[in-house]
Parts: sequence; structure tokens; C-alpha cells
Amino acid sequence: MFGRKKEQEPVQREYPLREMIQTLVELSEEQWGGYAFYHEPLERKFTEEQKKEYARLASACGREEAVLLREKFPGESIRSMAEKSGLKVKLPDMPTGGGHVIFAQFTEPDEIVIYRDCIKKAEVLIKEEGLNEYLGAFRLQDLLLAHELFHGVEYQKRETIFTQTERIELWKKPFSNRSRILCLSEMAAMAFAKELLCIAWSPYVMDVLLMYGYEKTAACALYEEILEAAGVRERED
Amino acid sequence: MEYVIGILLLVSFFGLAVYAVKGGNLMLGIFVMGIIWTVLPMVGNMLVTNPDFIAANKDAISITWTEALTNVFQSGPEGWGATLVNVIFGAWFGRVLMNTGIASTLIRTTTELGGDRPAITCILLCIVTTACFSSIFGAGAVVAIGVIVLPIFMSLGIPKVLAACSFMLSVGAGMFVNPVLYGQYSAFFLDENGETLYPYDQHVSWGIYALLIQVAVVIILVAVFSRKKKVHSWAATTPVAKKNRRGDNAPGISLIAPIIPVVLLIAFDVPIILGFVIGSFYALFTCGKIKSWGQTCRMVNKDFFDGVVDTAPLVGFLLMLPMFNKAAELCVPYFNALLGGIIPNNTLVISIAFAALSLMGMFRGPLTLFGCGAATLGILKGIGFATSYLAPLIIIPSTVMNVSCCITQSWIIWGVNYTKVSTKDFLKMSAVTGWIICIILQAMVYVMFG
Repeated sequence: MFGRKKEQEPVQREYPLREMIQTLVELSEEQWGGYAFYHEPLERKFTEEQKKEYARLASACGREEAVLLREKFPGESIRSMAEKSGLKVKLPDMPTGGGHVIFAQFTEPDEIVIYRDCIKKAEVLIKEEGLNEYLGAFRLQDLLLAHELFHGVEYQKRETIFTQTERIELWKKPFSNRSRILCLSEMAAMAFAKELLCIAWSPYVMDVLLMYGYEKTAACALYEEILEAAGVRERED
Repeated sequence: MEYVIGILLLVSFFGLAVYAVKGGNLMLGIFVMGIIWTVLPMVGNMLVTNPDFIAANKDAISITWTEALTNVFQSGPEGWGATLVNVIFGAWFGRVLMNTGIASTLIRTTTELGGDRPAITCILLCIVTTACFSSIFGAGAVVAIGVIVLPIFMSLGIPKVLAACSFMLSVGAGMFVNPVLYGQYSAFFLDENGETLYPYDQHVSWGIYALLIQVAVVIILVAVFSRKKKVHSWAATTPVAKKNRRGDNAPGISLIAPIIPVVLLIAFDVPIILGFVIGSFYALFTCGKIKSWGQTCRMVNKDFFDGVVDTAPLVGFLLMLPMFNKAAELCVPYFNALLGGIIPNNTLVISIAFAALSLMGMFRGPLTLFGCGAATLGILKGIGFATSYLAPLIIIPSTVMNVSCCITQSWIIWGVNYTKVSTKDFLKMSAVTGWIICIILQAMVYVMFG
């Protein structure tokens, strides 16, 4: 103003989808933990070391539950495992685009909903961009279902499972309010799905791929956020 | 002739209602109505022959065309200038709270207080949201706070419709004492010299109770509906724009900034613009943002610019509105002639009617001042109700049904899209809740001013 150069708003940089997926499949469990804590409402309560430890423990919990379930239902498909675990699976076709894109959800006590609209869009992208080169062969619907199946299992074991029993003290003594850590559940669900589908990369990669089907710019911004949270890229605050 | 003009005015009134409900552009709709409601009574003034009507409205119908056109198209928007200035300073204050990280820190700290208990955290966040919007105003501010609060609600497993509805009702609750919104309402209650007939302290005398009642209803709503089945979603959220992501570690002492302007105004009669300036510089100072003169100048310029952009869509509409209000004054003799014998002048009957018909405050209907309620107000003014009663009577459905519940409100439709709630589900919850709030508030206003 008054002769000074006008500040330019930064324009969101666009990245090729292949480049993003190639980078994301290489991220470690610990790095994805950083991303999970990025969205944790209680994030400020943890040190970096605690976050890494929780990422490790939550992922181990998810993997352990996947092994247990596979042993319980040997050779069964993911859907069959879900149904035999007493869960109802719905596959509506409704679009879910916008600022907050929902891919799938679990409603307590026993309902799983997978939104096929995002699957259709992502499958087209995988084919067109040749993303199987990085992702290998997998069924996206099974991946989403496996993630939600963990929440079903978690609900059934809510009195004993690590993701539900681990608590953090929020208030100062003599007062007490012990809260669960919500992102543990998500990290465990991702590790569970990864183990169950025998894939080499974290299902968190799908956040960018599925978002890309609705809004490329948002997917690129999300990619940058993941790299920042994972410590690959400097924060630009 | 006065009946013919009265009927034509009513027809145009319903025309505006239909136009508003169909989603027509309200700025131009209101402007066209301003023209129609100027021309019709002025033509009527030239043609009326009924001596009783002429005798009863001698001053009103002797106005010249030049005076009428000046009153409607010049004095009307000019008179709203003072309000516009308040709106801009309020928007700047809102931007400062966002950019210093005070709003996000407040939300984070509140979440850390409540933890994973969905109902408690949701209620605490609703209270904080209400406190924030008791001072700040504008779609930009609602979106900036919404992108922090709504994902927290959903990550806690709060059903989406409840998340969207409770957040928007909390925003609306704060608006009951919001000085910027009050400024817009006060523009409807000016005397012939442009002085307000409805001072802020009179507004707050019932507005503070309205705020508390709306928050209490939101708390009950959350307590009842958060018991429903918990939902875990795998979702991705568009990251907050870098310009809005400025950390959430504002110092504790800065967190009182959101309520400074309102507290100064209510407790010490400090003018609202000075309150916004004090609140803004308090926020900047306590957050360590004032480092050098040059950097402070750049920051204040930038925040002011962003604040003005936030309010821009509203300004056009609100500059046309005074034309319509002034034109409505020209129509009063004709509405009185047509409806004076039909509309009861009993405050109890009017209060019951407003409570029962509160839903007509939605979709820019006849009970919201941000729709064709300006015309309803014109009719009721003509009947002679006191401003102290009339103002809250129509501000209640405007604030509750329109500003807090209706999808024709820009930030509400944003919230509905953001949370992916169907408009039908949102309206089912918001309209019923809003209606209950309106009934309670209309009863309160009748007891206080009826």
C-alpha cells in the first residue's frame, strides 16, 4: 500500500501424481506417525520422542490384530472376515467431494460404510497413471474395508486393546482428566490394513490419491503437508 | 385508491418473498423493491381522493418526489455509513485474532481441557466459539474457525450433522451481542435525523439472555445427540492455507482478546471501534507481533485488507437495504389503510404469532431483516409498536432462524458442504432447534418489553 509492492499470495504448486505417489510409498511408519499426530487434537501434549514411540506401539497393535484375525479366519476375504466378525458392510455410491473428503466410516457398534465414488475415481487414476508400478496389485475397496474392520475389532475389544486403553493425563494435580489419544486408533487401523493386504506401503498414501480424484490442488497441498509432518520438508509457517 | 396501492405493495412483498426463497440475488432484489416501493406510494399520493385518508396522513403524503428520491436513494445508504465502518473494524479485529493464532490456540487449549469426551469437548468448544463471535464477524472468520473446530468434532466421533449444527448455532449465539451485527440491525431503527432509536445497551439488555439461552439449548442438543452412535471416518481434509496457518501457541495472556471489545463496550461504554483497536493491538502486542514500526505497518495493512475482503460480499447488500427501508416508510399510510384493521395491535398476539411463525425467518422470508422482513417491520412500525418491543421481536428470528440455522447464510452453506451433511438432515436439526429457541426468546421478550 502507498507505493509498496503488493504481497503476492503463494500459489499452490502442482506435482505430478506419479511423483507424489513414488515419494509417499517410501515414507516410514515413524514418518507417517508424524502425519497422524498432525491431526491429533491433543498434539501439543507430546514430545517428538513420545510421538515416535506411540507411532511404533500403535502400528504394532494394528499388525498384531491383523495376524490374530487372519488366524481366526484363514483364507477368508476381507469382506467375509468383516461379516463373520458381526459387522454390516454398506457400499453406497454417493459422492463425497469437498474440503473434507470422507472415504469410509465405521459407526459403532457394527456398521461399515465404504463410499464407492472415491474408489471409482481412484481406480481410473491408478490405471491412467500406471501407479501399480509403485503400489503393486491391490484392491482399493479391500483396503478401505480393512481399515474400518480394525475399528470394528477395536470396538469389540475396547476394554483391553492398546488404542483404547492408553490414556494421557490432561489436567494438573489434584484434578484429573485422562483422555484417549485419537490418532493411535488411526495409526493402528492403517498398520492393520497394511498387514492384512500384505502391501509394502502405508495406506495413508491413499489420502493423497483419493483426494486427487476430487481436487488436484488440495491433493498437492496435502502432499506438502505430509512431507512437512514427516520431516522431509521444512514447515513454511 | 389507497387500497389498490396497498394491494399492489403486498403483491410486490410476496413477489420478493418468492424471489428470495428461490435463491434470487438479494442485493438487486432489494434494490428493485426499493424502486417499486418508492414509485407506488408516490403515485398513490398523487391520486388519492379519500378525505379521511388524506387528513390522517397529511405529512406523509405531502412529500415531494425530490424529497422522496433523496430520502430513499441518497440519505438511506449514506445513513448506513456508520455501520459500514463498524463492520470493517470488526472484520479487521477478526483477522488479527486469526493471524496471531489466538483463535486456534483458544480452540486447542479448550480441546486439551476436554480431551476425548465428545460431549464435554464439543460443549466447551461451542462456548468458546460463542465467545469469539460475540465480537468478531464475517464469513471469513467463521470459515477460519470452522476449519479448526469441525475436524476436531468429527475426530471425536460427533455425528456430522450435530457437528455442523452445534457449531453454526454457537456462532449465531455470539451474534446476539455482536456489535457489528447490532450495527446492521440498528440501521432499521433510525429517526428522521438518522439517529438510532435502538441503542446498544438496550439491545444487550435482552441480547445477553438470548445468547445464554441459545448456548443452553446447544448444550442440551449436544448432550442428547452425542450419545448417538459414534462414528470413525477415514477422511482427508484440505490443508489450511499457509496464510492462515500461523501456529497455535499464542500466550495465555492473549486469550482474553476476543471478548475485549464487547466487555469494554458493556462495562465501560468504550466506543466499539476503539474497542476493536484496543483488542487488536492488545492481541498483536501480547503475541509479540509488534517488533518494528515498518513490520507493524505492513501487518496492520495486510490484516485490514483481508478483513475488508471478508466483508465485501455483504457490503453491497447492506448498502441497498437502507433504500428499501426508507422506501418502506413511504408505504406506511397504505399498509395502515389495508392492514391496520387486520393486524392486531396486541403485543401478546403478535408475540405468539412471531413465535409460531418463526420458520418464516428462514430462506430470506418475511420474518428476517436480511430478507423481506424489512417490509414486515415497515408494516408493524406503521401500527405503532414501541421500538423497544419491535426490535427484539424481529431480531430474534433474524439471528436465530437466518443467521444461525438457514442454508441461505453464506457461512452455513459452507459448513454444510464442508461436513458433507445433506441440507435436508441439517435443516431438520437446525430448524427444529431454532424454532424452540425462538419460542423461548419470544416469550422472554414479551415478559420484558411486551
